[in-house]
Amino acid sequence: MRVFLFFILGCVGLAARAEPVELTLPNKLVAKAEYRQGDPNQPAVILLHGFLQTHEFPTIHSLLEGLSGSGRTVLSPSLTLGVTHRKQSLACEAIHSHTLKEDGREIDAWVKWLKARHHGPIVLVSHSFGSVEALAYLSAKPDPAITRFIGVSIVEGRIKLTPEQTRARLAELRHAVKIGQPRVVTQPFSFCQKYQATPAGLLSYLEWTPRRIREASARLPLPHLFIMGGNDDRLGTGWVDRLKAHNRVKIIPGANHFMDGEHEFDLLDSVLDEMKAP
Amino acid sequence: MKPHSIGRLATLFILAVAASILLLSGYLWLEMERVAKKIHLREAQSARAEVVEGLAEMERRGKGMARALALWDETRQQLSASEYYALWRDDRVRDAGIVSDQVEAVGLYDKQGRLLAPPRKDRSMLIHLPSQALRGEAVALLQQENGGSHFSLFLPVHADPGGHILLGYVGVKFDFAGELRRAQAYRYADLAHLRVTLAEGGSVNLERAIDHLRFVVHENPDLDTVDKLFEAALLRLVIVILILLFLAAWLLKHLLVRPLTAFSDEIDALREPGGNLPRKPARASPLAVQELENVRRSFNDYQARISELHNNLEQNSRDFHDQARRDALTGAFNRRAFDEDWKTLGEDRRLGRVALLLFDCDHFKAINDTYGHQIGDQVIQTIAGALHTALRAADRLYRLGGDEFATLLPEADAQRAEAVAERCIEQVMEQDFRQYGMNEPATISIGIALSEGDGAQISSRSPGRPKNDLAPAGGGSGDFPEPGAQLTLHELQKRADLAMYTAKRPGSRKLVFYNEDMGGMAALLGNKEISAVFQAIDNPDLIELHYQSVMRLPMAQKEYVEALTRIRCDGELIGPGAIFPIVQARNLDREFDLAVLRALGRDLAEGRLPAGLGVSVNLSAPSIVNNQVVDALLELIHAHPGRKIVAEITETALITQIEIATSNIHRLRETGCLLALDDFGSGYSSLRYLTSMPVDLVKFDISMVRLLNRGDRRQQLMMEEITRLVLTAGYQMVAEGVDSRELLDQVIRLGFSHAQGFYFDRPQAPG
Repeated sequence: MRVFLFFILGCVGLAARAEPVELTLPNKLVAKAEYRQGDPNQPAVILLHGFLQTHEFPTIHSLLEGLSGSGRTVLSPSLTLGVTHRKQSLACEAIHSHTLKEDGREIDAWVKWLKARHHGPIVLVSHSFGSVEALAYLSAKPDPAITRFIGVSIVEGRIKLTPEQTRARLAELRHAVKIGQPRVVTQPFSFCQKYQATPAGLLSYLEWTPRRIREASARLPLPHLFIMGGNDDRLGTGWVDRLKAHNRVKIIPGANHFMDGEHEFDLLDSVLDEMKAP
Repeated sequence: MKPHSIGRLATLFILAVAASILLLSGYLWLEMERVAKKIHLREAQSARAEVVEGLAEMERRGKGMARALALWDETRQQLSASEYYALWRDDRVRDAGIVSDQVEAVGLYDKQGRLLAPPRKDRSMLIHLPSQALRGEAVALLQQENGGSHFSLFLPVHADPGGHILLGYVGVKFDFAGELRRAQAYRYADLAHLRVTLAEGGSVNLERAIDHLRFVVHENPDLDTVDKLFEAALLRLVIVILILLFLAAWLLKHLLVRPLTAFSDEIDALREPGGNLPRKPARASPLAVQELENVRRSFNDYQARISELHNNLEQNSRDFHDQARRDALTGAFNRRAFDEDWKTLGEDRRLGRVALLLFDCDHFKAINDTYGHQIGDQVIQTIAGALHTALRAADRLYRLGGDEFATLLPEADAQRAEAVAERCIEQVMEQDFRQYGMNEPATISIGIALSEGDGAQISSRSPGRPKNDLAPAGGGSGDFPEPGAQLTLHELQKRADLAMYTAKRPGSRKLVFYNEDMGGMAALLGNKEISAVFQAIDNPDLIELHYQSVMRLPMAQKEYVEALTRIRCDGELIGPGAIFPIVQARNLDREFDLAVLRALGRDLAEGRLPAGLGVSVNLSAPSIVNNQVVDALLELIHAHPGRKIVAEITETALITQIEIATSNIHRLRETGCLLALDDFGSGYSSLRYLTSMPVDLVKFDISMVRLLNRGDRRQQLMMEEITRLVLTAGYQMVAEGVDSRELLDQVIRLGFSHAQGFYFDRPQAPG
């Protein structure tokens, strides 16, 4: 039934106005996004991809299709990560000069862009580390149009270091940033075994430790929900439990980190259900 | 045109074929070389096209790589923020796998075509983009720098897919030779020694790079293999063909040339004047070539026929030779064989002496005339058969003339010759001639002559002198070599002739050895005597008649004379001893008697005889049955009426036509002519004929008359009884050879009416 419904929604979504859009950012970089205009009376959705991905990532794309198919206006941007007109996933080994702060500014730019086209509330839906970037954005100075946040498969940004090593590493990075050290550093981070980035860039992500994520999420001033896969093996031990301590968390049984397969529909249902929530 | 031998033509043919094959092989080899050159040329063209394709492929691949680089987000990232360009260029690009390891260098250029960062020395890129690249075109260059050749490709980098937002340019650089080799597989071009002819620092668009490349063409292993295979095959083919040609030459030689040459040689041998005809087929074994086998068979058949013909010719030749030396009637050898055998005999010096026996059938002419030629031939055949029987197997019998035979007895002495001769006479006498209707037996006379030695002995056994009136007219034996000397055939035969003629005389023994006393008779065989006889026949005036008185007894009164014939030739007088053997030998009895009658008529007409004196004339047996002779005598009688004419008929035994003879005798008697039976008592005149012949006088042969005073008592008594018988029969008797008074008295006593002889007178010419 759900498959049929998804098919019908997909057909409706295709019938909806689909448009690749570009946004020139203040730093002259051009960001690309997929925009689906839906029912203006329904809350619009901004779909934010995971770490180093694009809006064409399957989990995001499925949600895009599902949400637009359900009549929602959906904007799914790809963060530039310092690359103008970026349309590809950025490799871990690429020279990453982007920062989490720059990611927040791009989110804000897209929120404003959407607000210019949709006057209703906006729900921010993000996947994986994109939820950390969304959380960082929402924690800083979120646009009031954002009325709800749904974090799917939020990760804690592991760096495979002991807490002491993490602290030491952060100290090194802070010192490098402080002294203006431009040399690119390499650090295992998240799913990257060899993440190569500028010290400032790396530091901006590493500063969002699991604890800070939990604390920030707990402090979010808007309704939010974390949807997690029952079989997500990319999460640290006890992460979901710790997340549940201060947040609403919905577990989709059997789903992995990417909510693929039939769990795409569970995810969509969960998102739609959350969007209907008061 | 001079013909050539089959061997030479075959050799020329084989050589021509060999030369043609070698020329063809050479032509094929040259064609193969031309083909190989064409293939090399096409391979060079293909290699060039291949390299051009390789350049295009290299450019395509390079463009693909450059395009991937241009479309890579991180390229745009570097063009947007080039702080880490060197790191990206030197490490990231390669680590990301966007360009292959074969890329020597990667470079990014800003919109103005400036390199984002200085190049590394070992991976240098152009500092400034080529002007073509600045126009937005993809530029591929072949560069020569740092001693190496490089292929660089430049593409613009756009931010948007539509290519409206130019971010800068990307350039990649390859090792030209390596990249070209890797671009594709090369079948023709050998790029191992690829050489770029650009000057150091020079560059050229890749599309014109082919003009600055030098490379070699791969050795075509297939072509080389084919070339080697072809050469090997050609060599083998030539060798095989040459071997086959040798085999063909061998076969040609053995199957065609040799048989043809053999045929030619054999035919040439047949053509040689002195060549002998092969007795056996030239080639007995069959030949392998059908046509030659046909020729061989035909030749052999032809040769066999030729051989058979030759054999037949030889047989015919032998037959002809034999026939030429054989008498067809009797089977005896003929005179030619006689002459040859004599010549051979003369050449054989081992032979000391030879006896020649001449056989002659007595009165054969009369037998022939009386009984006909067929009977005569049978008589000759019978006599020849008898002589063959009598002779030894090794002794040859020769038929020299009509009734004349001879045999030569090498190393025979007189005794052996006589024994052989007596055996011959006896064998003839044993023959029964009555089967041919003959009333009397045929006899032979034999003359024997010895080549040397015993002439005296032979002479001692000679039968004595012939009739006194037949004494030799010529001188002694001076014409013949002395006894013991070697004789020629002619001389020996002449001696045998003389002996044989002697034997044929009445009263003579039937086999007579030649003795030197017969030398006087040689004249009768001389050319002069023979000529005289023939001349006398033609001209009776040459006949000179001598007359001998015939006395009437008992008073011994001269009653008539007997005309005895002589021939005066060149002043020489030829006597009867030489004349009558020739007349008889030449069968001239009738002609000669006619001549004598003419001579007698001449003498009478000329009055050479006293008037009233009778005259007797001899007529041979053939003449008494010849009307012409009888008519001539009658004419003579009529011409001289009143003169007593006596016709003495000699050789009455030869008279076979008794009726004609009797008729003629009657005709003569009717004219008053007296008829006398001459030589009574000899072999030619006997009582049988006396009873048949109506004669008036019986003239006893001198051999009978002489029995009266020389014979024994028995002979004298028989003589008396015979005379009494003749007288009783009514005949008058004439005695010949009365040469004494005593003998005259005896003939008178026995009742002889007439007598003649030397007691009264000798024959003498008239007047």
